[in-house]
Amino acid sequence: MAEKKNKNYLSGKEIKAIAKANAKRIKELEKYKNRKAEESEFLAEMKNPDNILEIEDLHTFFYTEQGVVKAVNGVSYDVPRHSVVGVVGESGCGKSVTSMSVMRLIQGPAGQIDSGSIRFQAKDYRRDSKGEPMRDENGELIVEEKIYDIAKMPINEIHRIRGKQVAMIFQEPMTSLNPVFTIGQQLDEVTMIHVPGATKEMAKQKSCEMLRLVGIIPENVYGHYPHELSGGMRQRVMIAMALAAEPRLIIADEPTTALDVTIQAQILDLLQDIKNKIDGSILLITHDLGVIAEMADYVVVMYAGKVIEKGTVFEIFQDPKHPYTIGLQKSKPTMTLDDSTELYNIPGNVPNPTNMPNQCYFKERCAMCIHKCSGDYPGMVQVSPTHFVSCHLYSEEA
Amino acid sequence: MSEEKVMNNVAESEVMYDDAALAAEYLEKRKKQHEEDFAKPYDPECILEVRHLRKCFPMKKTMTGKVTKELVAVDDVSFKLHAGETLGIVGESGCGKTTAGRAILKLHQPTGGQIIFNGKDITNYTPKQMREIRKEMQIIFQDPYSSLPPRDTVGGLLSEPVLVHKLVPKDQIRNYVLKLMDECGLRDYYFERYPHEFSGGQRQRICIARALSVNPKLVICDEPVSALDVSIQAQIINLLKKLQRERNMAYVFISHDLSVVKFISDKILVMYLGAVMEFGTKEDIFRNPMHPYTKALFSAVPNPDPTMKMDRIKLQGDIPSPANPPKGCRFHTRCPYAKEVCKHVTPEYKEYENGHFAACHLLNEEQ
Repeated sequence: MAEKKNKNYLSGKEIKAIAKANAKRIKELEKYKNRKAEESEFLAEMKNPDNILEIEDLHTFFYTEQGVVKAVNGVSYDVPRHSVVGVVGESGCGKSVTSMSVMRLIQGPAGQIDSGSIRFQAKDYRRDSKGEPMRDENGELIVEEKIYDIAKMPINEIHRIRGKQVAMIFQEPMTSLNPVFTIGQQLDEVTMIHVPGATKEMAKQKSCEMLRLVGIIPENVYGHYPHELSGGMRQRVMIAMALAAEPRLIIADEPTTALDVTIQAQILDLLQDIKNKIDGSILLITHDLGVIAEMADYVVVMYAGKVIEKGTVFEIFQDPKHPYTIGLQKSKPTMTLDDSTELYNIPGNVPNPTNMPNQCYFKERCAMCIHKCSGDYPGMVQVSPTHFVSCHLYSEEA
Repeated sequence: MSEEKVMNNVAESEVMYDDAALAAEYLEKRKKQHEEDFAKPYDPECILEVRHLRKCFPMKKTMTGKVTKELVAVDDVSFKLHAGETLGIVGESGCGKTTAGRAILKLHQPTGGQIIFNGKDITNYTPKQMREIRKEMQIIFQDPYSSLPPRDTVGGLLSEPVLVHKLVPKDQIRNYVLKLMDECGLRDYYFERYPHEFSGGQRQRICIARALSVNPKLVICDEPVSALDVSIQAQIINLLKKLQRERNMAYVFISHDLSVVKFISDKILVMYLGAVMEFGTKEDIFRNPMHPYTKALFSAVPNPDPTMKMDRIKLQGDIPSPANPPKGCRFHTRCPYAKEVCKHVTPEYKEYENGHFAACHLLNEEQ
């Protein structure tokens, strides 16, 4: 094929070819998603029993008309028990898509989990061959530890986990509450759905308890509609709703981005407080390095659909290895910074997601490039027991 | 300034006292103060001088159109700004920082107060008179996605202001715009492209270039970096600083991000529910924040250093509705040090150090 004049435009022929390939792949994946499966098919083993969630080599793609957007392209990280893992990166780096994949909320048919595994340590009821919860002689539900591979679960079994074992707090509390139901109705629904045989009184009691936990007097909001509350209150209600089913993992996707600083401080305090009160972990997704430094125990830095560095919060903030992590920290103005100098900035933009180069994605913007960077995408290098970085500067041969 | 305007500036609706006698006394005092201030000569060194700026929006009207209830969005904002300086306005959402910025440009007609731009009182200028001045004052908006016309090429939308204000002969416009684009870090082949082809950072550069195309003396930056990623944010801040050095412009930089404001500003104005809480040079404000709200605001900013765990001044509750602000000191409902007097009497806004103003009862007691 002759060299193209402008790479930004596709010919009719190319668009047709892309559409055909997409349709084929989407059909396969949709069939896999909607299949009926025995429980044994999606049970898995944890690599490390201390982890609550293990994401391994996850690929989530969007099959668009312009080509396949590899939003999440081989992401692996773990969430240990009783810890806060912070995922940080710029917009479009795939941090939210990873968390949506864990919840299986990727918008189909264009968005699909292509491959990889998401292993989650769940506390579920023992189920019979039909998938109904089983009871013992006394009529009590039998609870046992199970490890599910969320990526392999059929979509109609996902309710075992979604909302119950893994709960999510979204960025915009304004749009994620239903405007036509009262706060009470929306909170009660969680208990009614996730606890077999729950009564309305039980649900209300549970809802009030959760509201008190997030620092709201239940009488003030239970019968109110979402528009009657302020942004901070709505986010508290969202947190209460996430807690109502006693989840093991809370995914907080930019929980404070839409809030003011003073309210943000309140919500962050609340999240810290709640982490200590419940038996669970928090996966905190944000672009704000300050929030991460304050909240997280472990940090995962993402760039263009890949994890480029991960480690404990001290390793990432005091001894960052990847040039992108270093640049990101230097380019954020802080309260203690000397402001007579120019602010450090990373030149350029994130590469086009449909057409990624077959080398380090950060090469074009990197100030510390070496000869090797023109080669393949760098693998993960271990620099300390908990600290990993994906950069040629630290690989052994360099 | 006419008698009527001054009256308007201290309308009955904003009385913050419980006691009627106290309220009348306060109003009288304030009115007198304003009259005195308005009569003062203009400072010739300042590019922009704002005196007791006030903007109200009608909330309720009777059938005849008489306003019965008002929302005081900006109440009594005063400051001076020299050429080449940056004033940072910080505050939480709904504190009136954007309204203040727009009122200075007269995109909203101020309800009261005086705006002196370049030695001229422009408060009561007609739109036709304003047109002459528009080329000296420009604005950069927050959202670069919605503030560029989608049907115009970059070249087209950058040459339009030049054409309207007849700054250069028609045949030189293209060269003029290309030079401007180069200054703002835009490549020359972007001239024929449309805004949708650009990323957020590039669009913000186009917005900056558009504002600068008429060589303004004053630029209002209304949250120009809030919608951008950290690495792009740094590029834009550096660009703004570079252009300011080269062109000796004055900026009014409106933002809710304190760390950004600290980086770019020379003077800082802290607002809460429409009123000024504290005003001073950056050094003064950061070295010695006087108002409890400023202190709380500073301590609420998360610090990207995991070893430093700060003692936070925690503010309880939410920001009250601006439609119904608390009586007395506006901040008393959330203030951790609030006293009885704060609930009834509006604190006076006065100078405590040289050029460092604040409005708080607690400061009076210390003295």
